[in-house]
Amino acid sequence: MTGQSAVETRALTRVFNPKSKREGKPVTALDTVDLRIESGELFGLLGPNGAGKTTLLKILSTLLLPTSGKAYVAGFDVEKQFLEVRKRINMVSGGEVSGYGLLTVKENLWMFSQFYGIKSQLANERIDQMLETFGLSDKRTAKVRTLSTGERQKMNVIRGFLTDPEIIFLDEPTLGLDVSASRVIRRYIVDWLKDNKGKTVVLTTHYMAEADELCDRIAIIDKGKILACDTPERLKKMVRMNTTLTIDVNAVPDKRVFGTIPGVGNFTATDDPERSVTRLKFVIRDESGVPEIISKIIGQGSKILSLQKTEPTLEDVFIKMVGKGFE
Amino acid sequence: MAVTHDLRTLKNAAWLGWQMESNWTDPFLFAVYSVVRPISATLILVFMYMVVTGGETDNAYFSFMFVGNALYMYVAEVLFGVTWVIHDDREHYMTLKQVYIAPIRFYSYILGRSLVKIAIVTAGVLITLVFGVLILGVRIDLAHVDWILLGAATLVGMGCLSVLGLALGGLTFLTAKHSMGINEGVAGIFYVMSGVIFPLTALPLWAQSFSKTLPVTYWMDAMRRALMPDAMAELSSSSGLDVTGLGNYDNLYVVAFLIASAAVFFFLSLGIFRYADYIARKKGKIDWTTSY
Amino acid sequence: MSDSWLIVNLRAIRGRAYPRVVGATREPSWVFFEIVLPLFTVAAYAYIYKFMDARGELIGYVVLGGAMTAFWLNVLWGMASQFYWEKEIGNLQLYMMAPISRMSILAGMAIGGLLSTTLHAASTLIIGAIIFDIVFHIGSLYMLAAIFLATMVALYGMGMMFASLYMLFGREAWHMSNLLSEPVYLASGFFFPVKYLGAWAAAGASLIPVTLGLDAMRQLFFSEGSQDAFLSMEMELMLLLGLCGLFLVLAKYSLQYMEYLGKTTGRLTLRWQ
Repeated sequence: MTGQSAVETRALTRVFNPKSKREGKPVTALDTVDLRIESGELFGLLGPNGAGKTTLLKILSTLLLPTSGKAYVAGFDVEKQFLEVRKRINMVSGGEVSGYGLLTVKENLWMFSQFYGIKSQLANERIDQMLETFGLSDKRTAKVRTLSTGERQKMNVIRGFLTDPEIIFLDEPTLGLDVSASRVIRRYIVDWLKDNKGKTVVLTTHYMAEADELCDRIAIIDKGKILACDTPERLKKMVRMNTTLTIDVNAVPDKRVFGTIPGVGNFTATDDPERSVTRLKFVIRDESGVPEIISKIIGQGSKILSLQKTEPTLEDVFIKMVGKGFE
Repeated sequence: MAVTHDLRTLKNAAWLGWQMESNWTDPFLFAVYSVVRPISATLILVFMYMVVTGGETDNAYFSFMFVGNALYMYVAEVLFGVTWVIHDDREHYMTLKQVYIAPIRFYSYILGRSLVKIAIVTAGVLITLVFGVLILGVRIDLAHVDWILLGAATLVGMGCLSVLGLALGGLTFLTAKHSMGINEGVAGIFYVMSGVIFPLTALPLWAQSFSKTLPVTYWMDAMRRALMPDAMAELSSSSGLDVTGLGNYDNLYVVAFLIASAAVFFFLSLGIFRYADYIARKKGKIDWTTSY
Repeated sequence: MSDSWLIVNLRAIRGRAYPRVVGATREPSWVFFEIVLPLFTVAAYAYIYKFMDARGELIGYVVLGGAMTAFWLNVLWGMASQFYWEKEIGNLQLYMMAPISRMSILAGMAIGGLLSTTLHAASTLIIGAIIFDIVFHIGSLYMLAAIFLATMVALYGMGMMFASLYMLFGREAWHMSNLLSEPVYLASGFFFPVKYLGAWAAAGASLIPVTLGLDAMRQLFFSEGSQDAFLSMEMELMLLLGLCGLFLVLAKYSLQYMEYLGKTTGRLTLRWQ
């Protein structure tokens, strides 16, 4: 066993060898990955298709052995102590079609709970509660094959959390879902962590906004390598892009006053006579200058028509690191 | 134009069928599989026969039984093969709906897939017959084979079996996973009632009457008459009785009955398929999965 | 999870058996298929013997063998190849992640399938006996129970061992099950006394538990059964008990090894091989 991290990998490598030369060359899915995820974190893994996210999750969930290196989950070696690992984890994948079409939602969930040795009464209580939380109470007795995609995925998410794992791996859990279904799942994840201190979520996703919104820390992975690993804010700061404040006003009698505001770099003022609007663009080094900008505009009797702040996004970080956006 | 389109569908489906049937393993294992299965199925009967007769295989009845059992592979595999296409595509690969909504005639696709089955089964049948002739003394003499009768019976028989498989495939749309039992059951009915491994006269009279409505009965008889005319003649002449149940009919009569019964089953099967297809679409069962 | 390993695995067995039982009862058409349709194959073989004026016992053997095919088919299709199907529908990885023995999952499948299997076997036996006028003279009920139980445990143990191979198979799984149907009917003497295959062939075939089980059951069910016997009942029971131990141990290690192999090569979760 190692220290108290939820997940730890050391020089973790996984190579897939084809059966014959005809099938191509060996593929290095993970390349000496060093990672440490603390208990209580909501940790994100961002990467394009084929980056190695799912391979990493499969190793951590004891479905795949590494070619070399080590991985520990809840302090246990995934290779040698896989039984101990399995008692403490669960996994939910996006687009899952597992389960039995002929069984009802409740029956499917109950069945999977039995594989974790949960007493029937407790399992049924949890199932009812979670169906309520996810708005699936009316689908309790519906056959799984009648569920819509969103309902099915909600059921899968319930299945993952039902066993009350210490660490849960979520592999693109909102893949292909609509806004409201995705929102329900995300909210549940956040609430679960809030109500269960010390539990850990490892999330892979394609959705930048999701990672930005949810994750305490994010690792960007591409071609099997971790390119960066930090909080969303610090990752954005790695991208040397400035914050821009764009303000549309009806008129500005004296533009010179803006040049003396501390924390403000360049600014431009562009008049649009047709719309009777002047567009002011400020490059801000320090956000403490923003209130003074506003007060100087209002002080001149001008009216603010619109205000927009543009700052580096996670997508900017990703593009800088990986060199391309998501396909 | 429609014919060209159908032929293209048939060709592409046949190509897909070949990929599905053959590339699951290396060629050697595939060859072993294709040989071992049919021969061991036949050997069950051979040993059953030997338990009773003490090993004598050089007689007309043994040839009757052996050839019938070999030919029956067509019945089982074609019926099963057509149904399996729908089942596999729906439950396993979940591609049925994509194929279904494509601008092709669905039954052209199904028949194309089953063509490959027929080809593979033919190899199995030939291997079994060769084994029987060379090792067990089955009475097929190439010099005496009635090739015209063989060609005609094969054509009509294969067509009938394929369309019957289509009907069963249509029923698969409507039934759950264990419905593979439907085609096994229908194949089983033919096995018992069509004079495959024992003459019709072994059955009760009511069953014999039913047997004479089945195209497979006439197909079996016509194929035997074509492949081993001498043995079939001996079977009738040795006892002076109609041992096979169709011994009093000449070849032309048997073929005529084959065509007539096949035609009835042809239209019946197409009707069943169309109806099942319609009901499946109405009830939304085209792409349901039923695994348990 | 504070319950003992045994309790956890018993719950897992119950959990996995559930979909089989419930699934089977939700599609009532299965009753027809399991009862009526298997009779056709039995009838065909019985009529061959009738046509050849064979001894009555031989027809009885066909009925008994036909009944026992239910269990062999359940082992092949309901258990051995099941991991392949589970992999294809995405359940296998969920089972593999669960902190339970793989044998529990397989045992659950077997037990869940017992309802339909037993119905298949019992109906074939009873209806076949009625249609073909077969009279069973059961020698000893205790011996019959012992033989049947030992056969089932050994057979399902063998099935678990096969299941370990199927974990790694792609579509070979389906074809392998097909390949093992008729050759096993032949080798195990489902429809004729196995001793007619010759001593060596019968001895080799005895590795398949149902060979010895059927041979012993013939001696128990039919007064003339002993003249067609390969070995005595008592010897066959001893051998079956040995096979029980052998296959259960082999199954355990085979499942562990195959899982390890699957995780090493990455084939455990690879679909559409």
